[in-house]
Amino acid sequence: MALPLYLQNRIGNQFERKNLYLKDLAQGKTVSPDDHPYLNKLKTFQEKEATFLKELEERVAALPPETDPTVTRLQKMLYQAQEKRSFYQSYVDLSYEAELAFKTADTMTNHLPLMLDTHEEIKQEVAFNQTALKQLDPTVEQAAKDALTAYQKDMPAKKKAEFDRLNNLRKQGRIAKKAQTNAKKSFLRSQKMAEEELRLQVPSIALSAEAKSLNYRQKHDLKRLENLMMAEIDEFSQTLPMESNKKRAFHHYFTWPLPGLGQILNKQYIKGLIFLIGSLFIYLVAIPYALGYGNYQGDGVAGLITLGAGGKRLDKSVIYLIEGVIAILLLVFAFGIAYLSFRDARKVEKEAVLGVRPKNWALSKKMISEEGFPFAVTMPSLVLITFIVLVPIITTILLSFAGWDPQHQSKFSWIGLSNYTNLFVGKGLAAGLFWRILSWTVIWTLGASTLSILVGFFLAFLLNNDRIKGKFLLRTIYLLPWATPAFVTIMFFSIMLSTGGIMTDLFSGLAGKQLFVKDNIILTRVALILIKTWLGSAYIFILSTGVLQSIPNDLYEAAQIDGASAWSKLTRITLPLVLYQTMPLLIGQYTFNFNDFTIIWLFNGGGPPNTSLYGNLAGSSDILISYIFKLTMNNQFQSLGAAIAILISLGLIAVTYVGFSRSKAFKEMK
Amino acid sequence: MNQTAKKPKKRLFGRKDKSDVYLSDRPPLSTAGIIGLIITYVLLISWAVVVIWPLFQMVKSAFNETQFQYITSGQRFEFGLKHFKALFEETNYLKWVWNTIWIALVTMGLTVLFVSFTGYAYSRFRFRGKKFSLMGLMLIQTIPTFVGITAYYAMHQIISGPVPFFTRQMMLVLIYAGGGIAGNTFILKNYMDSVSTDLDDAAKIDGCSYMQTYRLIIMPIVRPMLAIIALWSFMAPFTDVLLPTVLLTKNQDLTLAAGLRTLISDMRTLNQPAYAAGGLLIAVPIVVMFMLLQKQLIGGLASGSVKG
Repeated sequence: MALPLYLQNRIGNQFERKNLYLKDLAQGKTVSPDDHPYLNKLKTFQEKEATFLKELEERVAALPPETDPTVTRLQKMLYQAQEKRSFYQSYVDLSYEAELAFKTADTMTNHLPLMLDTHEEIKQEVAFNQTALKQLDPTVEQAAKDALTAYQKDMPAKKKAEFDRLNNLRKQGRIAKKAQTNAKKSFLRSQKMAEEELRLQVPSIALSAEAKSLNYRQKHDLKRLENLMMAEIDEFSQTLPMESNKKRAFHHYFTWPLPGLGQILNKQYIKGLIFLIGSLFIYLVAIPYALGYGNYQGDGVAGLITLGAGGKRLDKSVIYLIEGVIAILLLVFAFGIAYLSFRDARKVEKEAVLGVRPKNWALSKKMISEEGFPFAVTMPSLVLITFIVLVPIITTILLSFAGWDPQHQSKFSWIGLSNYTNLFVGKGLAAGLFWRILSWTVIWTLGASTLSILVGFFLAFLLNNDRIKGKFLLRTIYLLPWATPAFVTIMFFSIMLSTGGIMTDLFSGLAGKQLFVKDNIILTRVALILIKTWLGSAYIFILSTGVLQSIPNDLYEAAQIDGASAWSKLTRITLPLVLYQTMPLLIGQYTFNFNDFTIIWLFNGGGPPNTSLYGNLAGSSDILISYIFKLTMNNQFQSLGAAIAILISLGLIAVTYVGFSRSKAFKEMK
Repeated sequence: MNQTAKKPKKRLFGRKDKSDVYLSDRPPLSTAGIIGLIITYVLLISWAVVVIWPLFQMVKSAFNETQFQYITSGQRFEFGLKHFKALFEETNYLKWVWNTIWIALVTMGLTVLFVSFTGYAYSRFRFRGKKFSLMGLMLIQTIPTFVGITAYYAMHQIISGPVPFFTRQMMLVLIYAGGGIAGNTFILKNYMDSVSTDLDDAAKIDGCSYMQTYRLIIMPIVRPMLAIIALWSFMAPFTDVLLPTVLLTKNQDLTLAAGLRTLISDMRTLNQPAYAAGGLLIAVPIVVMFMLLQKQLIGGLASGSVKG
């Protein structure tokens, strides 16, 4: 591989090499570095440059200081820039470095006088302001102050008069309530502005306000101009290429053992240091943890395989499992850091071979703060989600392949797919109930959700009638089941429906015989579905009301003219529109109810028990999610519970995925 | 309620009076229409009764001095604050309130902080893996938090080893906050997408950094949605029974919802009327708030949904 003949800058423009020695090399000539004429010239330049810089420093130090340190600093910079400009001017054609130095000095000579002027100007204004403050005319001051106090004194009376006028207008019904409040607000605002104007008529107040603004300018104007200058210099430094004698890039491979090393070899020290901090995380946290050091009980990644078999008696397999998962996630983070560092170093180096000047820290920082912004701000959330959401989910997935059951509580091992096969064929004490519980879960989901939707929509439809009076009151009442916390109402229903409870007695009276709702399978199930309807219809009612009110009346009027009956108006206009707009939320009702643990658990704890059908592990109103709860919390079948949880989650994910990936919101996303 | 029922009847009769000028722009009702209207009223009012009656019973039991440990029917009503007194004196009610409030506040703060950053990043930037990770967030949030319950136990054990002051309540806060990020990011992103990006461009021209653009321009505009997210995440600990019941072991560490459950599920502390009283005390502020904010809350629900 040969040296490229032409150099490139960042935008891809091509440049002739100024380094004739390297140019000869690139053209394939055999030249020796010892007596190449260009190299000799370059050497003399470098020697001269060194002496020049040294002398310049001495001369600058010898400059007489001004009284104002800022002026001294700026003037020294200006002097330096002027000297450098005249020195480098004659070497512009020799090398790109000299050209850069010349241009930098040139820009500074252009900018610095303006900065000095600005500084001087502000200083003068401050002095002027201070003298004016000292020589205030007491009569003018007093007169303005009197005017202000007089105005302030009048204000309450004026306010009262105006408000009274507005209130009267409102009472007479000539203006709306909204107009009244708005007029009051705008009156107050204009009063305040008039007061502020009078305040600024007072010389002392006006002058101190000015002093404040001058103070701000003094602090920030110079800084802003300086930033502008530096930005201009950075900008054109990127348009110049850099001579390089590099043929191939290899520094970036060093980032694999130690992220940051490649950057340091590329002479990007600050960036390198930042990546080195990442290396600290890799070598002090991620890798030791994965090897089992610093674990609570587990053994890093190895613990995932052994699950603590042969460990101490008190060691728990589940801890080994989770620490293994955490170790793997830490390794993923570590790999991410190493890969980022590798990619960055490779890019910089490949560009350097072409002759692109590497970015300095100021430019890198700017790029990181722009392009890296979304990553930087989502990072904390990502970490939290990884450990709070992802670790449990991965753990649950892994648990479903393990044999954590009542016989293997503290130590268990991998058993492959047998939890799942047991569920499918219904084998075993706990897994055998799966299909029976699933069927009630499906009935429950369909029954409760459909009934809630029907009742909620029907109520909204009935109430959306111009002739109904007392709409507000009825609507407020219908909202109550949604607004009251569900657990409060569910538990109270549970109290009322227990034996001797208020509702049991009421229904017993209606049925003509004593009912035992919570001991009867059918009654419990019916009660659950009805309570859910009571709770869930309120939400559907709100949603449908919103949609119904937004349907334009024209549609119904047009239908009326065409002779449509009330029924066809409902089925051809209302229903399609409502369904179209609320479909995702209605589907959400079904997925929510499928997993509505709260109502099952709080109402009757999944009961009543029915040992002949359900054994001791579940009750007859348990749905899958409450069955999982019983399996993991009460009956120590954690692995089986995990397997059911995974099956449920997969189903939910599939439903959501289909709905979501078809949605317009997702397709249109850029 | 009877009044509301009578009112239209009066008007219907009034309309038959020919001397009355008919001012409504609706067509006059036919006989079938009148019957339909009456049926509508009957249906609407009976559902209102169905809604009100259980709630009324709860209020009544909370104030009924003649109820003892169990709430039973057929008791005479005698007004008194006995059960509220029992709630405050015999249970850890005030402790529960305090626990819930601080857990809710920290959860709310964390959620709003995290979500405002992620929402902004997802709404305003194009970056590698955006679509993929958004889909991931969306799918992760459908998995019930409860699925990871066994893992949370063990994780708490692991963390509290090296960090002894890490209590189970803190674990609960992290679970609430971490679990809320995904869904709320989605809601906020959708809302922010409706804010024109011209504003961002204008801010950038004026020299704002991204942080400033968010803080000074975007955040004030999306504040209503942020407020709703804050409200929902504040409410979550007030209404969740499951996680605190499972995770927190000591009675004085419980949150309100889990604590109140002990009043009807635990034979040692069973006191159903006190439960009704405590439920009433939580429900009233929440109901009032929902009523006042219903428009915004419903708007939040709808815009967070994935519209087809």
